[in-house]
Amino acid sequence: MRRFIARCIGTAAVLTIPLGALAAEGFKVKPLQAVIADEKGGELKFPEGVACDGKSLLVVADTGNGRLVRYTYQDESLKGGSEIKLPQLTYPLRVQVAPTGAIFALDGKQRRIVRLNADGTFAGYVDPKGVTGEQGVVPRSFRVDGAGSIWILDILGARVLQLNGEGNVQRQLEFPKNYGFISDLEVTSAGDVLLLDSNSALVFVARKGEGTFIPLSQSLRDYLVYPTYLMTDSRGMIYIVDQNGGALIALGADGSFVGRQLAMGTKSGLLNYPGQVCLTPAGTLFVADRNNSRLQLFTLGR
Amino acid sequence: MKVYLSLVMSLLVAVFLTVTTVHAQDNALKFKLKPGASGKLCLKCHVATQETVKKPFVHTPLKTGDCAGCHNPHTSSHGKLLAEETANICSLCHSSVIPKDARSAHKVVAEGGCMKCHDPHAATTKFNLVKGGNDLCFACHKAMGETVAKVKFKHSPVGKGCLTCHDPHASAKNGFLLKNDVPALCVGCHKTDKPIFVKAHMNYPVANSRCTSCHDPHGSDVAGILYNTVHKPIASKMCNQCHEESTSPSPLKVKRSGTDLCKGCHSTMVNQAFGKNRVHWPLLSKEGCLSCHGPHASKQKGLLKQDALTLCGSCHKDTITRQEKSMTKHEPISSGNCAACHDPHGSDGVYLFKKASVVDMCGTCHDWQKHSTHPLGEKVRDPRSRSLSVQCLSCHRSHGTEYKHFIPFATTTELCTQCHETFKR
Repeated sequence: MRRFIARCIGTAAVLTIPLGALAAEGFKVKPLQAVIADEKGGELKFPEGVACDGKSLLVVADTGNGRLVRYTYQDESLKGGSEIKLPQLTYPLRVQVAPTGAIFALDGKQRRIVRLNADGTFAGYVDPKGVTGEQGVVPRSFRVDGAGSIWILDILGARVLQLNGEGNVQRQLEFPKNYGFISDLEVTSAGDVLLLDSNSALVFVARKGEGTFIPLSQSLRDYLVYPTYLMTDSRGMIYIVDQNGGALIALGADGSFVGRQLAMGTKSGLLNYPGQVCLTPAGTLFVADRNNSRLQLFTLGR
Repeated sequence: MKVYLSLVMSLLVAVFLTVTTVHAQDNALKFKLKPGASGKLCLKCHVATQETVKKPFVHTPLKTGDCAGCHNPHTSSHGKLLAEETANICSLCHSSVIPKDARSAHKVVAEGGCMKCHDPHAATTKFNLVKGGNDLCFACHKAMGETVAKVKFKHSPVGKGCLTCHDPHASAKNGFLLKNDVPALCVGCHKTDKPIFVKAHMNYPVANSRCTSCHDPHGSDVAGILYNTVHKPIASKMCNQCHEESTSPSPLKVKRSGTDLCKGCHSTMVNQAFGKNRVHWPLLSKEGCLSCHGPHASKQKGLLKQDALTLCGSCHKDTITRQEKSMTKHEPISSGNCAACHDPHGSDGVYLFKKASVVDMCGTCHDWQKHSTHPLGEKVRDPRSRSLSVQCLSCHRSHGTEYKHFIPFATTTELCTQCHETFKR
């Protein structure tokens, strides 16, 4: 444990952000801590995913090491770091924690979603049942919503699939026309489904109960280099990870630009090809800082 | 019918000349020219123009003596005493050259560069063109000119003139300034019901297919003016390897969808790629292999849809742009050889690198010990973040930066003192 703490980089006093990134400050992030290892001192390697349950559980997809690492976060302090290593999950890219405590992870090698029990044991694969069309399913990303539905971004079928807890397809939404490359989806607390088009830097929305995606905003190319992940908070704010730009931008629920924070780099507080992010209700932001091989913690506020 | 046509033409010419004459008279009044001065006064000084007007094709305002149609005889804010900006002067009369909402427009026309093709006074070539025939087009489209000249199998309309298929100004409904869309343009000459055509296409009903997915309309070195790289089943006329039989109810339908179809022949490649930790996502998408490759024929090696810079840049625009703006060019990128470092199908590591280690990857071209003796490798920790070891990308960004040597800082000192902070001044 001591070794783990010793390997954690302490709170950074100053955040190095280029002036360009401060052009709009509708929200702010402040670095808290960086984590580079598990509880035994085993270093993280190209972690791409991170998920939190809103209470204290934090799961990191330690992609380069082919494992998940589970921490607990309490009183602004990160503890634990136990390894979950399974033969069924050798290259975790993205991870989610369900309200039941079950852990879901997208395996890049098999391109399947793996379901784990809360204790980290293998529970099975999420293979959609009742899919229409002759092609199979290739999940690029997924979400587990508050009701336990699993939403899969299927790039092979160019659609979003909504599954129930048993894996049966409940609903299917086709990608919008003229899309470029859809990298991520999100389900808002209001039940809207968002899609992120990395090529055109566009967010699409299918309002709750509607079957068609429409652009939520104009292209965000002026604010994003190459976005790959999006997330919403309980108030409907949209956060988009700019993978190639090493930054995070925020949009209002209507798609209006709010601000851009963070910048590309190696020093503490900077990001290099960030992957997944998660946000606790208290405003702690966890970032899988892939190419810096670390997990970074920030406070996020407006 | 001929009499009627000539009557209509005469009427049109008469109307045009009347309008231009009226315009000339307007200008004569506007500048209070002496009676009979219009069209003669200017030429008294501009002696060279006296010779110009002897050319067979003279611009109508000049022909009618209306120099003031384009020039202000007294003062102007524009060069050559033009009555308007050079880029806009022609559009004062020729406003409909580019139709509203045109699907494609010749860049030079859209930018008002009319005089790059037309002489505003007179020329020996019809339409006042500065050169005749394809020579005019190939003056700018040099690569096309060279290709057309050397290809083994020529497309006869190209020899007749680019304007056989293209409109020189704009196309209201078609891309590439084409006079009609493909295949309508092609079937105007190539009768699809002729036995020779049917046989050449293995009895497949291709009349409504896009001809340019296989054929290079500007000629090629392959018989049938197929693009120079031909997919083997096409070259061996075995369309039914991928498509259903020509006699079936849906002959153009492919036998399988996505990568499943390609896997039938390219199983080794597909299995290798799909066995990697990271597969290039487009390969897994609905388009599959066809995200990047054409199924029939292509100008590019490997049946790529476009040259690598354009193709890769269609998604990774930021990366290509960064290289274009970079002060130092990375040769594999500037030459469009993205595959020198990246495996476009799949890899076990990040960035789809061909090698597991960045140092090994860069080392395939760069001898580190000659380039630098800075400690590198797994055992050398990066002082900026103890989670990292020092490797080439610790200091360089391989696609370039706005500074020299791919470094992300303006000076080497600034770069080095990121880690060696004690030397910071």
